[in-house]
Order: sequence, then structure tokens, then C-alpha cells
Amino acid sequence: MALVKAKKGTLPPVVEAEAASLEDADPAQRRRAAHEAAGRAEAVAPLAGRLAREDDASVREAILTALVRTGSAEAAGALIPFLASEDVGLRNGAIESLQQMPAAVVMPEVAPLLTDGDSDVRIFAAQLVGHLPHPDRLPLLTGVVERDPHVNVCLAAVEALVEIGHPNALPSLERLVARFPDDPFVGFSVESARHRFTEDPERDLGA
Amino acid sequence: MTAPLDPDDYDAFCTFLRGRTGLSFTEAKRYFVDRRLAERMTAVGAESFRDYMNLLRFQASGEELQRLVNLMTVNETYFFREKYQLDCLVNSALDEVVRGRKPGDRVRIWSAGCATGEEPYSIAIMLLEHWGKVDEYEIELYASDIDSHVLKRARDGVYEERALHMLPRGLVAKYFTEIEPGRWRIMDELRESIDFSLVNIVDPAQVARFRDIDVIFCRNLLIYFDDLGRREAASMFYEALAPCGFVCLGHSESMSRMSSLFVPRRFPDAILYQKPQR
Ligand SMILES: C[S@@+](CC[C@H](N)C(=O)[O-])C[C@H]1O[C@@H](n2cnc3c(N)ncnc32)[C@H](O)[C@@H]1O
Repeated sequence: MALVKAKKGTLPPVVEAEAASLEDADPAQRRRAAHEAAGRAEAVAPLAGRLAREDDASVREAILTALVRTGSAEAAGALIPFLASEDVGLRNGAIESLQQMPAAVVMPEVAPLLTDGDSDVRIFAAQLVGHLPHPDRLPLLTGVVERDPHVNVCLAAVEALVEIGHPNALPSLERLVARFPDDPFVGFSVESARHRFTEDPERDLGA
Repeated sequence: MTAPLDPDDYDAFCTFLRGRTGLSFTEAKRYFVDRRLAERMTAVGAESFRDYMNLLRFQASGEELQRLVNLMTVNETYFFREKYQLDCLVNSALDEVVRGRKPGDRVRIWSAGCATGEEPYSIAIMLLEHWGKVDEYEIELYASDIDSHVLKRARDGVYEERALHMLPRGLVAKYFTEIEPGRWRIMDELRESIDFSLVNIVDPAQVARFRDIDVIFCRNLLIYFDDLGRREAASMFYEALAPCGFVCLGHSESMSRMSSLFVPRRFPDAILYQKPQR
């Protein structure tokens, strides 16, 4: 039989290694440093600093996971700048990670971005806010729909509101149609929102 | 009877348990958690929830935490469960793993979350029965679980009819002996070929021992985790695998949402997740 007896297994012994460094040349060591940093408040800044320079996907993932595990306001705040990153993978990683952190911690960090000067950042912020189970979610998104000058930002907020499906959002949506009367996408998405809200009275109304 | 926890205590407990084990309980699972917690608090004579939490946190032996964890896990399993994945192992994955290896080289397979042992023993049987190259390589089988109670049963290797219902009768006759009516013991040769150990898959220190693994089975375990727990498990598997090694998840589980670390590979029998070459 070719199954090896359990006692004869050859897994290498675990060596008690020294603390790893986030700046090590070896990605495996950088990942190990990130695993060790998970949950430690003082490690947030070095993790975020490394993330900005890191181009190995596996190390990025380890850093993001560690920051989610830490889950503090500082950890959420450290991820915010990456929403403006040109690097799609990094930006999406930051968005996904923020979604996995406690909403109460993330919301105060993300809400201010809804009025950021860059409309792309406002779009990501609206999408993110839409995913946070938090009492401010509905008023923040209807605020965007009523006031944001950029139609694509408004549409991102509409999309999030449709997902949430709360009929209280309807008046703001109607006003959006009035603000952009000639935009076919606005007309179309508000129409589908109306449908969604009226069709589905059993939906969970908790915002 | 201890009163049910107030919502803050319930949250604190769930956060603690998730941090230690990856197991994630929502409000909907309250009945499950409350009952087990009350049982343990009574058993140790804890006066209050806070006393009990302190015991869990600070007891040097970790004995009470282990007892509680044993109660909180779901250990349902049986031989040849989701057999198409075992077919995938012997029909496709292993042939890829050994490509470029010499006869006599090692192949390492790990069942992480093995419960009472049916999964690793099924793997062993599939290899012996259906992998043509089984005699050419030295195959090391590892199996682990966070639950010490099920591990003991896995090592004993005694099973009842319910666990064996998917296994063809011929294989039961070949690999088991009936020790009393309705109870079968798996043959010693198989029991001795599996290295069972107590391992929490989200604890880096415990997983550190597993290196250069070729195939990890982690089936029907991550369904009990939240997104963060799945992500942490994925990074532990990444560390444990050899380059190009595979992870096999349960049929309803997927890694695409959970991790950018692996590449899904579609084989005729099943989809596995592969660690990139480097
Ligand atoms: C439902 S059983 C699945 C058994 C087998 N893999 C199968 O698919 O039939 C899940 C097992 O995962 C184990 N488990 C849960 N959390 C774990 C963790 N953090 N580390 C290791 N095992 C864990 C449980 O104790 C349980 O035995």
C-alpha cells in the first residue's frame, strides 16, 4: 500500500521564527507580518503604508484581511484613500473590505466622501453606503439623489436605493426626474424603482 | 436555569467566538447558542455571563473553551459525501499534481474539518480503489478538526449504518469489520495511515505546521463562517499549499467572493480552486 503511515509523515517541523517584517523582500514574510498584525491597533498605519506600495496580490490580500480583522475606525479610515486609487484591483479590494467591517465604524468614515470633489469617488462612496446596514443609509443616499450635480453619482445612489427598496425614497427619485428631465437613464431607473417599491410590499422595510 | 443573554452580551459572545474559531452566529441562531451557553454555564457553576467569559478568555488550559467549541460545531458527515469531488481528485487533480514528479515522491492531502473521519477515510479508499498511480508515490494523509470530541471518534474509526449508506457494500466488506451488529470498524491499515490532529484553521500558529500540501479538502465548514472568516481561512490555505496546489470546497461554497488568491479550475467532475504557480 502506498499510503504512508501517519507517524512517518514528513511535514517539516515548525520553526519558531522571528517576527516578520512588512518590508521584507520575500512576499511570504510580508504576508506573515500582515497575519501577525491582524487585530493590533498600532499596526494600522504600517499596514496601510505598505498597502500603498505593495504590488504582490497575495500580500495585498493579507494586509486587507488584517485590517478588516482589526475593524476599528482607524482601520476603516486607513482604507478610505484607496477608494480614489487608479488601481482597480486595489480599489475593489478596499471597497470589499470596508463592506466587511462593522457598519457603525465604516459609515462615519465613508459618509463625508459623498461630497468629495471627485465624482468617481462619490460613486464608489454611494455604492459602499448602499451596502452598510446603518440607520443613516437612507437619508444619505436620498440626499445624494436630491443634490448631487453629477448624474452618474445620482444613478449610483438610485441603484443602491433600489436594492434597499424602501418606499420613503420615492419622493426624492421623483425630484431627480425633474432635475434631469432629458436623461433617459434617469427616467428608466426611476421607473424601475417605482415598480420595485410598489410590487413588493412584503419587503423588509428596515432601512 | 440561567436567563437568556441580553443582546449586548449575546453580541459580545458571538464576537469572541468568531474571533477565536471563525464560527459566525447571527441573531437567527440565538436558540442554538443560548441553549449551549446555558448548559456550560450551569456545568461550571458560573454566577454570571461575565464570569463565564473570563473563564473562556483566561483559563490557562483552554479546557472550557474547548468544551464549548465542541458543543458549537456541526459535525454532520458521511462516507463518499459529494462523491463527484472525490472522483475529481482521482480522475484529474492528482494526475496534475504528480506531473513532473518522480516515483517515490511525496503527495500530501489534508482534510481540514474532518469531523468524525468519514472524509479522510473516503479519500484513502478512493485512492486505493481508483487512482492508478497510487503505488508510485508516497502519499501522506492529514486530517484535522477544531472539535476534540469528533477527532477522538475519527481515530477510533467505528461507524454505524447511517455513515456508510453511500458506500458500496463490497467496499464495506473490504475495508471494515463488523464488531457488533450495526457497528463497523475501519481496518487498522487505514486508521494508521491518517495523521489526525486538533487544528483551528483560522489560527496561523496552528496551521503553520501544514506546508507544501498538494490538495486541501475543506468541505461544509466555511458555510458556518462569515466573509471575514472565509477570507482568513483562504489565506491560511494559501500558506499551506504547494504552488499549483488545490482546494476543494463543498458544493454550495465558492471562493470567488471570498478571495482573489485562487484560480477556479473546471475539471470534468468538479471545480477546484488552485493556488497560482508563484
Ligand atoms: C459539517 S462538518 C463537515 C465534515 C466534512 N468535511 C464533510 O464535508 O462531510 C464541519 C466540521 O468543521 C469543523 N470546524 C468548524 N470550525 C472549524 C475551525 N475553525 N477549524 C477546524 N475545523 C472547524 C467542525 O468541528 C465540524 O466537524
